[in-house]
Amino acid sequence: MCVWVRVVIVLVLCLTLGGLFVHAEVTEDRWSPYPDATDLSAGYESYVGQDLMVVGTVTETSEDEMEIKAESDGEEIVLRVTGMKTAVEPGGVVQVYGTLKPDQTIAAEHVEVVSSSRWAEFYKYGASAVGALGFLLLFFRYWRIDRETWTLEARDG
Amino acid sequence: MADLLTHFLVPYILLTVTSWRADWLDRRWIVVGIGGAAIPDLVKVEIVLDDSTVEALLGVPFAYDPLSTLGGVLLLAGIITVAFDRHHWMRVFGLVTFGGLTSLLFDGMRVYADGRANAWLYPFTNWRPPTPSLYVSSDPTVLVVALLTAGTVAILDRRIRAQN
Repeated sequence: MCVWVRVVIVLVLCLTLGGLFVHAEVTEDRWSPYPDATDLSAGYESYVGQDLMVVGTVTETSEDEMEIKAESDGEEIVLRVTGMKTAVEPGGVVQVYGTLKPDQTIAAEHVEVVSSSRWAEFYKYGASAVGALGFLLLFFRYWRIDRETWTLEARDG
Repeated sequence: MADLLTHFLVPYILLTVTSWRADWLDRRWIVVGIGGAAIPDLVKVEIVLDDSTVEALLGVPFAYDPLSTLGGVLLLAGIITVAFDRHHWMRVFGLVTFGGLTSLLFDGMRVYADGRANAWLYPFTNWRPPTPSLYVSSDPTVLVVALLTAGTVAILDRRIRAQN
């Protein structure tokens, strides 16, 4: 098949994907029901009393509460999480589900530790890097780029 | 989401076991299916280039989230498919989509504090499926189990191929 036909197909698919990127952001309230850091920064008071789920990096821990920093679209907000005791160090990542209270506080009903410390995050990205490298080596062991037709071709024909 | 290595190992295990019954599914095709598992992880491109930066550059609302959904998997599987010879398109599309779906399903089983996974069936529905909360993404046990299972499958695969 001609290269230009393939280019047109790719362009159409990329444009559709681009459309999804825009549509997803415009309709965010429908598939992501909770306010994010940007919403909270812009109008905190209007969400007080609502249930919400936030993902944040732990910045401080004490006996029965912790402080987390949630971030979205470049906006950051620091929230105090009360009512749950969890084994997590500063630098770890948690999901918090609870009720939003005044003074940047969440009364937590449920806290899940995504990464217990900064090291757990490093581990995840390290394992992913190993996976990516291993896959590329494996893929090009079986496939090669045919520079005449600009397609991927099996090495053993 | 689980680490990328685990995401690769899941379709490796499933496709290798399937290949014992399907002669056409040799290693080069299994590798293509494994590759599809990386699609939902492309959402991590936000670490390099944040959605808000793209939004500011283009001047339109923008979110990478569809990459980790069924819609994103189908479209990217299509883009990847076109890179192969026309005769292989159906096969490549099926395998890459399968790989992507295994990652979406696997991520849909991890822990969410409110008990519901992301709306990974977007744009077909905004519904957030309930999650069995089986694991957290940074738990090394997940990778250890995946590695042990993949290792066992690899040994069995070698024996079966030697017999044939």
